[in-house]
Amino acid sequence: MKKRILARSIAALAVAIGSTSAYAHDEGATEWRLFVADQASPTVSVIDATEKALIDTYELSGPAALHRTSSGQTVFAVQGSQGRVSAINTGIAFHDHGDHADIDVDAPERLDIELTGERPAHFVEQQGYIAQWFDGEDEARFFTENSVLEGQPEIRTANIEAAHHGVAVPYQHHAVVSIANPDDASQRPIGARVVDFEGNHVGEDVACPGLHGSAGSGSLYALACQTGLLIISTQDGTPEIEHLAYPASLPEGSASTLLGGKGLQYFIGNFGPDRLVIIDPSQGEEGFQLVQLPTRRVHFATDPIRPRFAYVFTEDGQLHKVDVLSGELTQSLRLTGPYSMDGHWNDPRPRIAVAGDNIVVTDPAAEKLHFVDANSFEEVDEMPLEGKPFNIVAVGGSGVSHHD
Amino acid sequence: MGLLRAVFTPLLVSMAALSAGAARANEPALKVVASFSIIEDFANQIGGDRIALTSIVGPDSDTHMYEPTPADVKAVAQADIVLINGLMFEGFLARLIEASGSDAEIITLTDNAEILQDPQGGHYHFIGDKAVFHAAPEDPHAWQSVSNAQVYVSNIAQAFCAADTAGCSAYEANQQRYSATLAALDDDIREQLSALPESRRTAVVAHHAFRYFENAYGLTFLAPQGMSTESEASAANVAGLIDDLQAQQVSAVFAENISSSRLVEQIATEAELPMGGTLYSDALSGAAGPAPTYEAMMRYNVATLMSALTPP
Ligand SMILES: [Zn+2]
Ligand SMILES: [Zn+2]
Repeated sequence: MKKRILARSIAALAVAIGSTSAYAHDEGATEWRLFVADQASPTVSVIDATEKALIDTYELSGPAALHRTSSGQTVFAVQGSQGRVSAINTGIAFHDHGDHADIDVDAPERLDIELTGERPAHFVEQQGYIAQWFDGEDEARFFTENSVLEGQPEIRTANIEAAHHGVAVPYQHHAVVSIANPDDASQRPIGARVVDFEGNHVGEDVACPGLHGSAGSGSLYALACQTGLLIISTQDGTPEIEHLAYPASLPEGSASTLLGGKGLQYFIGNFGPDRLVIIDPSQGEEGFQLVQLPTRRVHFATDPIRPRFAYVFTEDGQLHKVDVLSGELTQSLRLTGPYSMDGHWNDPRPRIAVAGDNIVVTDPAAEKLHFVDANSFEEVDEMPLEGKPFNIVAVGGSGVSHHD
Repeated sequence: MGLLRAVFTPLLVSMAALSAGAARANEPALKVVASFSIIEDFANQIGGDRIALTSIVGPDSDTHMYEPTPADVKAVAQADIVLINGLMFEGFLARLIEASGSDAEIITLTDNAEILQDPQGGHYHFIGDKAVFHAAPEDPHAWQSVSNAQVYVSNIAQAFCAADTAGCSAYEANQQRYSATLAALDDDIREQLSALPESRRTAVVAHHAFRYFENAYGLTFLAPQGMSTESEASAANVAGLIDDLQAQQVSAVFAENISSSRLVEQIATEAELPMGGTLYSDALSGAAGPAPTYEAMMRYNVATLMSALTPP
């Protein structure tokens, strides 16, 4: 029984909570790996982010967009132009025990699994459930991360009526899928609906004209459209969709690329070429905040470790730190030469990933990676990487490694 | 319930009546953040209109699984006092505090309470059919006994007094009044439950949130467990539980307001036990529900238990 009220300062409590240790005979271990896709030759390089050393390189069929799962155990390489999706076991696994997590580190391994189909595009993962969209097919495919890691993906499908550039969000027994434009399926989708895997629609279709871009944050998933966001929550496991309109106070515009906060429940999206919008859905109309950028945006990312911050790279070669509470750019750092947003959308330009205390930025023109310390916001290292290093994801973290 | 809930519960702030001689203005003296709905009600009982109160985790929501929002961070950044349960109940707290950079006082309301060790070192939560282990060597659900609720309330009154001496007599008066309400509630619960025979005092709930209630009022609650932390609540685990149920004179199965009822419904079906209704475990209901305050929550839970467990 405790004897007195402990009114500690918040800072002291944060330290106490942050330093929860497991058992005396265990050691803390930290491991971060970068997966970098090359746009010149179709490969993915696996890099030890601490040692800045190449661990392995995998040949692909074509340039890849990379997606990591929330567990960090798998990275998917979507090769749209080649109609292929490859999977890599990252070799880093966490086992959560509530007050601490165990970390297991093995060699990364390219899995002997490949999905083939017409123009694979948007990839969405939530809690181990995966939806892979194919722009050229009239059904979306669903499978679990576990089945991929076990080498036997069990694929379920949901009919989407007409092939289009859309998106599916996976749940255990349901999916949310975009609805093709009935007049012209090559246009942006017009809304979304909940379906199950037996071909049924659940509830009403929800309008979302010009739907493009999706992201998850906490228990919510969001789809962006011209009128606002569709916010998907679950009620007893069944997804429910609500439309959250852009408030009249925002200027003309909409988001078409969304990211979700980790550790803080919010969304951040593009809003025209030189602005970002930060959205806190819990605040309704009040929850929208614009961020003005000095020049056009090249890429942006959220920080899963320092949840108050996101980063955006602009075409003048600068990386900026965004305070998602104030909506301000609090720090800026020149990292590369200029990268014009004129030209093809898929030209290799810098991409951002956060690996522990480092923000890693690819620099395809200079054939290297830049490492920026997330706390000091100074460049601390570079790593040469031949080719055109483009898309990048980071997996890893700290955990307890048990010794028997 | 709409998910686009407004987090702030703004209290009326009148700018007109700030007369120089008034000991207390109409502007709230303290900015208080409560981590979840039950603490929000306690703070409201003690603070009344002297405080501006914000709650982080809303009604019917699972605090363990909560992801804070930018608005929560701003509320904590501006707070004078943050009231928390402690005992690792608020898993989001460290992140929230770090992001806020706040120097508010954090008051842990379970300090001085009678705390139960958790023999399993934690309990499971269910997200759909997925079991998530919440490790806590001390059981955090202390509010489920009314005598502990008295400790929460007394800690709140002390914290408010320390931070706002001018309001102390008001806080103490509120505490005395509310403490009497709680004492009557405690007596009432004991009296009602004493009518249940020994053979009708065991029930199944989704997660182990009722061990304090068990301990204080002499009922037994079983919850699906025994799974490894990596597994989902598989058919085999449920089968094991059902074998136990036959042996233990279980009378009913209860759903919980903060989580999916799918798993407990499956257990009820397979064990051929009746569903006894919904218990409020880790959160109040919304204002329109049956448990918008702590007192209403405890009374509703007891009424639900009595109606399901009273012999036919
Ligand atoms: Zn797209
Ligand atoms: Zn609980």
